[in-house]
Amino acid sequence: MRHHEEEVMGTIVTFDLFDERGFHETAVADAFADAAAVLHHIDEVFSTWKPQSPISRLRRGELSESQVPGELQEVLDRCRGVKAMTLGWFDPWSMPGGVDPTGYVKGWAAQRALTVLEKLGARGAIVNAAGDVAVSGSPFDTAPFTVGVVNPFDTSKMACVVRVDSAIATSGDYERGDHLIDPFTGRHATRFASATVCGPDLGLADALATALVVGGDELLRIVEGLDGYEAFAVRPDRSWTITSEFALASEVAF
Amino acid sequence: MKRAIIFSSATAAGLAGVLTFHTAPVSLTVGGLVTGGSGASNSGGGGSSTTTSSAPPPTTTTPSTTSTVRSKKSSSPSSTSTSTTTTAPPATTTTIAATGTRTVTGEAVNYYFGILSVTVTATGKKITKVTIGQLTDGGNYRSQQIDGMSIPLLEQEAMQAQNAQIQSISGASYTSAGFQMSLQSALKKLGI
Repeated sequence: MRHHEEEVMGTIVTFDLFDERGFHETAVADAFADAAAVLHHIDEVFSTWKPQSPISRLRRGELSESQVPGELQEVLDRCRGVKAMTLGWFDPWSMPGGVDPTGYVKGWAAQRALTVLEKLGARGAIVNAAGDVAVSGSPFDTAPFTVGVVNPFDTSKMACVVRVDSAIATSGDYERGDHLIDPFTGRHATRFASATVCGPDLGLADALATALVVGGDELLRIVEGLDGYEAFAVRPDRSWTITSEFALASEVAF
Repeated sequence: MKRAIIFSSATAAGLAGVLTFHTAPVSLTVGGLVTGGSGASNSGGGGSSTTTSSAPPPTTTTPSTTSTVRSKKSSSPSSTSTSTTTTAPPATTTTIAATGTRTVTGEAVNYYFGILSVTVTATGKKITKVTIGQLTDGGNYRSQQIDGMSIPLLEQEAMQAQNAQIQSISGASYTSAGFQMSLQSALKKLGI
């Protein structure tokens, strides 16, 4: 198993490779470097903390959407789709300071990095970007990946373990920050203590998890109706709900 | 054709012990994440990285614990760095008699959006708590957004180490260069 940490996008993104056959060290180093480069490139385009990034210039009105790089246009288009899918509960355009697709970009970036790592051909690979996790292959011979979900009432503990075959994202009211905003009132709001979404597109899972925390039960119905996506939501009173095919691999405990 | 949503209530009391995590003694080389000094004008823009490796797990059909060993990285102002890897168990290098419970606050770090310091509590050589001791951001919206530091990477890795059955953790979390710098200074004060 090989582990790498990359400081990028204002957080630390980890890469893990699994293969019982061992690794060719140069190939591993190259794979890590290439995956890290993808993340740094994305950061240059999408970081709202970099004053001269295309997203910052778009937010200031210096650039119009047709003038920004193609990948930013692509992400904004995807975000429009997610906004429609979530009936407006995920809305990057309702963020203070201008359009902010960060809630989609983190997961989207992690999966792009994973695509690079996959080229190494190891048995399994994981990219974890601040709790947004994308996986490929498996860690051991036949077992799937299993991922712990943080307990929203005590973030030093796990609430449960989940089988993951593509991606998992979690959002929670324990996140400090202004991105948990109810687009319909413009105010900070959380209806669930935390929400976890599994599915093939980590950007979408990321956005759905955030929308769930803000929007509550209505989003559960939406995810239930979305093929390939499953959710686990925890209420402030410690009751919890899962969509019927959520792949729990343990008891749930707070 | 979708199915019914399953509702359930937690049975916290009886099951809480199952997933309780206890901090393991840690040999800290968290300082491997060196950043470009305080007051860096770009947040998170550095390419600092560490690479660790461990021997592949024995070939069995059951998942086995793999250990990841952090390696000390030489301090360097450039964004690339070299690291040495080792498969030996981490050596503890405490320099003080590690008894009793101590709480120490790391240096206040001037990071891009404000001032931050990390408070660490340790009993003996065991870190029992890591929290943000101070955080000022002048009300800047952007800094508020990155202040969502709920799970230090250290705690996450300790959680994983306690549970050989999982390979990752999903949870809203954030770590920043400033956090790591202040954490490192607190750990130095603790002699861990």
